[in-house]
Amino acid sequence: MSGKHSMNDRSGQAGDQLVAGEPLLSARDVVQEFVVRARGGVREGVVQAVSGVSFDVMPGETLGIVGETGSGKSTLARALLQAPRPKSGSVVFRGADLTKLRGGKLLRARRHMQFVFQDPFSSLDPKWKVRSIVEEPLIAYRTGGMKTRRERVSELLDLVGLDPVRYAKRHPRELSGGQAQRVAIARALALSPSLIICDEAVSSLDVLIQAQVLNLFEKLRGELGLSYLFIAHDLALVKQVSDRVAVMYLGKLCEVGPGDAVYREPLHPYTRALLDSIPSTEPGDRRRSSTIKGEPPSPINPPSGCRFRTRCPRATEQCALEEPMPRELAPGHLVACHFPLSQPAPAITGAVPAKETVL
Amino acid sequence: MAAPFPNATLATPVPPPLPSLINARRLRAQRLGRALRLWVPVGILALILGMCFLLPLVVTLPSSTAGNILYNNEPPFSPGHLLGTDVQGVDFFSMLVYGGQVAFEIGVAVTVIGIVIGGTIGVIGGFATGWLDAVLGRVLDILLAFPALVLALVIAEGLGPSEIHVIYALSFFGIPFVGRFARGATVTIRGLPYITAARLSGTRRWRIIVRHVLPNIMPSIVTISLLGIGITIILEGALDFLGYGIQQPEASWGNMIALGQQVLTAQPEYVLIPSIALLVTVASLNMLGDALRERWGTQ
Amino acid sequence: MTDALLQVDDLRVTFAVGGREVRAVDGVSFTVDPGRTLAIIGESGSGKTVCCRAILGLLPTGTAIGGSARLRGAELLGLSDAELRRYRGSDIAMVFQDPARSLNPTMRVGLQITEAIRTHRKVDRREAHTQAIELLRLVRMPAAERRFDEYPHQLSGGMRQRVMIAIALACRPKLLVADEATTALDVTTQAQIMELLLDLQTELDMALILISHDMGLAASYSDEVLVMYAGKIVEQAPATRLFGAEGAVRMRYTRALLDAIPHLERPAHAELPVVGGRPPDPTTRLPGCSFAPRCASAADDCLAKAPALLEHAPGHRWACWHPCENGVAS
Repeated sequence: MSGKHSMNDRSGQAGDQLVAGEPLLSARDVVQEFVVRARGGVREGVVQAVSGVSFDVMPGETLGIVGETGSGKSTLARALLQAPRPKSGSVVFRGADLTKLRGGKLLRARRHMQFVFQDPFSSLDPKWKVRSIVEEPLIAYRTGGMKTRRERVSELLDLVGLDPVRYAKRHPRELSGGQAQRVAIARALALSPSLIICDEAVSSLDVLIQAQVLNLFEKLRGELGLSYLFIAHDLALVKQVSDRVAVMYLGKLCEVGPGDAVYREPLHPYTRALLDSIPSTEPGDRRRSSTIKGEPPSPINPPSGCRFRTRCPRATEQCALEEPMPRELAPGHLVACHFPLSQPAPAITGAVPAKETVL
Repeated sequence: MAAPFPNATLATPVPPPLPSLINARRLRAQRLGRALRLWVPVGILALILGMCFLLPLVVTLPSSTAGNILYNNEPPFSPGHLLGTDVQGVDFFSMLVYGGQVAFEIGVAVTVIGIVIGGTIGVIGGFATGWLDAVLGRVLDILLAFPALVLALVIAEGLGPSEIHVIYALSFFGIPFVGRFARGATVTIRGLPYITAARLSGTRRWRIIVRHVLPNIMPSIVTISLLGIGITIILEGALDFLGYGIQQPEASWGNMIALGQQVLTAQPEYVLIPSIALLVTVASLNMLGDALRERWGTQ
Repeated sequence: MTDALLQVDDLRVTFAVGGREVRAVDGVSFTVDPGRTLAIIGESGSGKTVCCRAILGLLPTGTAIGGSARLRGAELLGLSDAELRRYRGSDIAMVFQDPARSLNPTMRVGLQITEAIRTHRKVDRREAHTQAIELLRLVRMPAAERRFDEYPHQLSGGMRQRVMIAIALACRPKLLVADEATTALDVTTQAQIMELLLDLQTELDMALILISHDMGLAASYSDEVLVMYAGKIVEQAPATRLFGAEGAVRMRYTRALLDAIPHLERPAHAELPVVGGRPPDPTTRLPGCSFAPRCASAADDCLAKAPALLEHAPGHRWACWHPCENGVAS
């Protein structure tokens, strides 16, 4: 670590550049696996939680990733951070491929990427005071002396709407869920990141508090020019905060596109099913019947070809034989489907018989 | 055989836990119980420790190793002998006091060694991955696999009887005892998001161990250590009783029981009194450990 | 009107915490008619769960419970566990949020269903087995016979919830209470389970109480909606009246809730109208409206006196001194 970095240093060092027009974050063919062990430690199989996901995040934009249980979205988030390192694929952040870096180099390159966890209480050390929690990144990257650090901590707490005088010396157990999450956000902001990855960051908060925290995200976006990777299972929530939305199913990206486009003209049947399943408070939308059938398949043994075919009302033989690759059907709008919704339904319809892969 | 489904639950707003539904009177009783469970053992231990360590400083006690055979087998409350004398005229109370000193010295020493060495091995092992974790884990497992008493016996016999050697021997129990526990606690903490967050903040591993892991496992370590002191005292007593630890005429509770064994039917108090001392000490240590665990909410 | 299935009058539940009183439920009254669906909406701490647990007798002994809850005329509050057991399962049943914890992980799923059946009816094992398989089919469990012998960990969240529903329906209750039953499920699974519940409702002529924090769920699946805040009902209306084109939400809190949830139609990055502050401390009792400290339109009378829940419009009750006009926060 050569010398001290200034507080608001965004430029970093050589190899860590922000070139105009280039994506801030570029993930290519990211694959992440787990070994599944049965009781007794016997190796039962390998789950590919993320199977070749590629996407870009441009500076200043918010990319939302939505997916249900087993979609791999949280695993993807961890893989981007190299915690743990993905099995294969590349993650280029500000010009540097994080998958190829280790130790100090990785820390430096990753400095501008921060993370907000799902549960604020387990992401804050219960024995530490708020002040120390927010200060930790500053100490680790040796930014300034104690006085400067303390000032920065007060600044950060103000930024997230917590009065430093009242909150700096508290412990996490003395905070509410919303306040604790704000502390986590303050900590994430400490090093002036360019990208913040939010993994279900508001899902454990009550609705009204959730709105407060979402507004905080927007405010920070405006004031600090942040980019976000916003991961959640709630499509409405994701669409609300994102410029572009990516939909994941069982480790694969189904559809990526501008939020409005994905909502108004979804191209992938899974996106359509997700949209139909959301209970709406709008008039006339009551009790739409869901267009999805069956149970989600187990990720240990995903269906051949297109992973969604066992639940898709439009699946055909081809879907079982050939995996669809992402295609750009409209500007900035990609979909991985042989029969996207923009085309008429294929002649032979009906989901491939469930007995093949549903357990 | 159907494969298990991905183990994930969606994050949802967490409702506050239903508050404890007792009326005020039962609440007071509960509080009282909790306070008693903490302070009674503290008081007992303070008394015992005071008796063993402070009393001799204040009052000159008769020798615990030598006695006048003319005054043997005196009953309790004889002049100059609070609890009487034993077969050889040695003052019983002194033996109890000095035996207690030895017991605590050994108990605390072994546990401190356990915390320092075992704790270090455990925390490093819990944090390490790959071969280091495997090696350290197996070291602890091997040490723990031996029955503590047998191992201690063998070592004590090999080294020869003395207080220090007893401490060495019992450390072979103390180290894996605390170490295994420290490793488990560390592994649990290591999986928590705030450790990941610390790594993401750029904190170095050793600093994470010192500032995040240690403060959070310390309550558990303290409670297990209290239990460890109790077990060590019993093991020491057993060693002495079998003749492998503190040798006569040095006083120790185990020796007292061994000596008293010979006159068990005639004068059972020679066995009973040190046994009760052991019982009360160890039980108080256990109770204190439990009460602390309750208070600190550790697993 | 008079043969309501469940009639709750002035239900009060008070706990003693640290010597102080916590009024978890503070005078709640509502009725559930046979075959209808009532949604109880509220955030954490609003008292919605405690309310229903009180009716089912699931609160630990020693809680102060007042008021009345009558199931077809029979008073449920104050009954002993043995007496309540007659009603639980056969007249009124409950499905909980986390099936992973409500199901016994060491027992096969089918066995748990047959156990529920045999608690209430004297049938032999074979008959119970047949009925259990029928129940699994009823809840649309794929491959019902195979699932019968499986353990909970071998099933997905949605399937486990179906098992919970099967257990709850073992004796065809007339009222099913679903306490955040779909909250922990994916949205697609939630849609399937909700459809299932509604179909079962028609098939079995069952009334349904949905407890949730999700207003969308209430809007889409219920006939009538109760909104709770700080232990009281603050607004009550048929779903079509509350949501929907007329947008006749009156109470400020309901309005705040509706505004705060993300809507698909809203443009991205829109600033959400926020309500500051936090839910009130349940141990302190404010003289005025419990929502007043956080309400943008609070006036002096709001802080001075708590508004009563009155039927200001046909079928629509609310408790607010300065309600919204035309469903829009003024």
